[in-house]
Amino acid sequence: MGKPWTTWLVAALPLVGLLELSAHGVQLARVVPDGDWVAARDVVKGMVKGDDLVTFAPDWASPLGRKAFGDELITVERAAPPDVTRFPRALEVSIRGQHLEELADWKVLEERAAGRVTIRVLENPRPVHVLSDLVTLFEQGQGTLTRVEGDHEEPCMRGRGPILSGNLGFGAAVPQDRIMCPRGGYAAVTVLPDLEYRPRRCIYVPPLGGAAMLRITFTGVHFGGVLHGHHGLYTEAERAKDGQPVTLNLRTAGASGDVPVGRFVHKDGDGWRGFEVPTPTLAGKTGELVAEITSPNSNKRLYCFEADTR
Amino acid sequence: MSSMVAPSRRDHALGGALGAVYVAWLLGTARSLGFPRDEGFYFRAAADYARWFRLLAHAPAKAFEPNAIDSMWSYNHEHPALMKSLFGLSWVAFHENLKVFADPSTAFRFPAMVMAGLSVYVTFLFGAQVYSRRAGVVAAVSLALMPHVFFHAHLACFDVPIMAMWTVCLYVYWRAVTPVPGRRTFARIAWPLAAGVVYGLTLETKHNAWVLPAVVLPHAFFVHRRPVLRGVAVGRLPVPLTLISMAVLGPLVFVACWPWMWKDTVPRVQEYLNFHLNHEYYNIEFLHRNYFGPPSPKLYAPLMIAATVPAVTLALFLAGVVSRGLHHVARLRSATPPPDAEGEGGGDRVRSDGEADLLFALAIGAALGPFFLPKTPIFGGTKHWLTAYPFLALFAGWGFERASRALASVVGEVVAKRGLKLPGKITAPALALGLAGTAAVLPPLVVTVHSHPFGLGAYTPLVGGTAGGADLGLYRSFWGYLTQTTAPYLAKLPAHSSVFIHDTAWDAWGRMQDEGRVRSDLRGVGTTGEGDSALVQYELHMLEVEYQEWITSGTRAPAYVLTHDGVPYVSAYEKRR
Repeated sequence: MGKPWTTWLVAALPLVGLLELSAHGVQLARVVPDGDWVAARDVVKGMVKGDDLVTFAPDWASPLGRKAFGDELITVERAAPPDVTRFPRALEVSIRGQHLEELADWKVLEERAAGRVTIRVLENPRPVHVLSDLVTLFEQGQGTLTRVEGDHEEPCMRGRGPILSGNLGFGAAVPQDRIMCPRGGYAAVTVLPDLEYRPRRCIYVPPLGGAAMLRITFTGVHFGGVLHGHHGLYTEAERAKDGQPVTLNLRTAGASGDVPVGRFVHKDGDGWRGFEVPTPTLAGKTGELVAEITSPNSNKRLYCFEADTR
Repeated sequence: MSSMVAPSRRDHALGGALGAVYVAWLLGTARSLGFPRDEGFYFRAAADYARWFRLLAHAPAKAFEPNAIDSMWSYNHEHPALMKSLFGLSWVAFHENLKVFADPSTAFRFPAMVMAGLSVYVTFLFGAQVYSRRAGVVAAVSLALMPHVFFHAHLACFDVPIMAMWTVCLYVYWRAVTPVPGRRTFARIAWPLAAGVVYGLTLETKHNAWVLPAVVLPHAFFVHRRPVLRGVAVGRLPVPLTLISMAVLGPLVFVACWPWMWKDTVPRVQEYLNFHLNHEYYNIEFLHRNYFGPPSPKLYAPLMIAATVPAVTLALFLAGVVSRGLHHVARLRSATPPPDAEGEGGGDRVRSDGEADLLFALAIGAALGPFFLPKTPIFGGTKHWLTAYPFLALFAGWGFERASRALASVVGEVVAKRGLKLPGKITAPALALGLAGTAAVLPPLVVTVHSHPFGLGAYTPLVGGTAGGADLGLYRSFWGYLTQTTAPYLAKLPAHSSVFIHDTAWDAWGRMQDEGRVRSDLRGVGTTGEGDSALVQYELHMLEVEYQEWITSGTRAPAYVLTHDGVPYVSAYEKRR
């Protein structure tokens, strides 16, 4: 008489060890060599266009990709985008068969392999034409900062200071190029770690609290049918959900007149929150856009926003 | 009630040899492992405590003065003193005086390594006495070959020591409550007294020991259920001597071994308890989410165990649990109890009615139970429940016993049916044992060796290895200990460069330089913008530091990435401005 199946099952248990050992061997054999990343860079160099997104999947592979690709390919706009909607195409550089969720419904135009690295060219199913990017305008000097308290308006100075940075818990670094107000308050373009620790290129403008307001006036803004943007706070500033809301009030000024565009309130826990408002009456015009940032209290209000017209 | 056969000299020799080999292996690999944050703090505390022991040796009266005690025992008084005292004494004895260890850190670490060896030894004894000698061997080896245990076993910290003391305490308790036929009166008193002393030392090792009553109280009730129930029926509650000893001697030993507790004992004990009952929540990643406060995810412990304990050990553990469970169900259903060895030649050396199995199950449950509560912080990864692993390994040992027997039976049948002739003097059972033993030990050995020195965030092949763990969003590292592993990069920096050392503690950095593990001319700095070069140690919540580096160094491209199996652990940025 044969043995019961349970005996065979128990006798087969050591096979788990052999399977484990085999799996370990296979996993080691699948490690992506450095050379594949370099080969992928050369492939991407030959395909990329100026307004493409170049990104890595999975996220944890990003340092390897950035090291191999360098700053020329991985610009800050590509490394820390507000979202993917502004890019007509994306070059997704991936390993281990992983893909980015936000590109899931994009059409695959082309796929190439560089060793174990896969490069996919994807097309945005809903392409947009960005007319003005407020972050870029600010960087190019087309943004001024004013500190407003009641009737008193204090212009702030664009200049260079020491980089402000720290260690864990500091928040976003404040770059050398920034606009500083004599009695406190500043604005600068930085990379914000959002609530989910994703990098976001944005205008860092921590509000002053109380009745004080920081006002940024952007000039030469080409308006379209829509204003699209995001705002958020440094992750540790909003994750405890114990801070005061921050309000971003957008309006036109100058030749376009004082026309409200939108008022957006960011509450702790909202994370990197998007907003979009139709601006059909402004479409085709070029003028000033004013951003007013306020909060009842300045405590931990490490606030950042970005927006574009499209 | 169960009874047992005391371990033989051969058992002690075999268990001791396993433990000694483990300690030797740990010593051999110690220099390749950098210093985590906490080790830096404990090195400092150990040196402080060692000063007090020197004072005690040279001027005992002065050593007992409150000012002397407070000045030398205040630092790091949120953790008890036993291990830090041993770290300090080992440093004085084996580095300063005897020069056995060239590195002070190895001398500091040595007592914890010995504790690791002790846990291997006691696990073997437990397994050999309860199940069989080979179950004991496999249990001990399986414990030693868990990558996370191997990592922590190197450190001058408390996690492996408490694993050892938890196991020793339960072993002594079990010896105290389990009669040995013919045991003398002295032993009947000595084991319960030893249980009390050892419980005190366990309390003195780490606060996990507070949970031990959740193991011994229900177990003692089960063991003494008949006298207890008889006593309750006549209006009295007989309390076993072992429990009295643990309840009385435990706290006394706890206070006696910790000079900081000698003054203002009640408020200081209260402060100690409050620190741990209201412990800060540190950040830790789990399934791509950064947890920094309650509620903790209930899936955390089960998934982390599945992802970090070798699969063959887990499979044998499950087989062992099922086998013991079925055995006890059959025993309870049957008028004639089945033999504990479940037939087939040897097995239990304890005449058990389930008491040892219950003890093991309670030990696992009590060690893991808090991690299913929403308020328990999970920042320590697996290290906070290492106390469950010796008992997990013991069930795995029994699972191995069953598997090797079943394999022997199958191999024997195949050989007989097919008329096969095995080479030399090899028998079917020996062949089966060899095959099963190799399959049970070799994969964990290979995986553990491969994990070093990345063992804190090592993941097993079951979840895809290191890359699989990263895909799942499990933490890669914490404590900033991999700075030493970047030494080949640091070695190429210009002379007297400044380096942002990120999460590495200053004490740890200083010791790495003192011991020549990283270049001593490099100047460590504490903020991202200060360094010519900057290290970024990858944890989800540490990514903010990397984004700061993009601004301060002016580049998104790291100059160097330390990887393990193709997964980044540390990046280094260099200023391009």
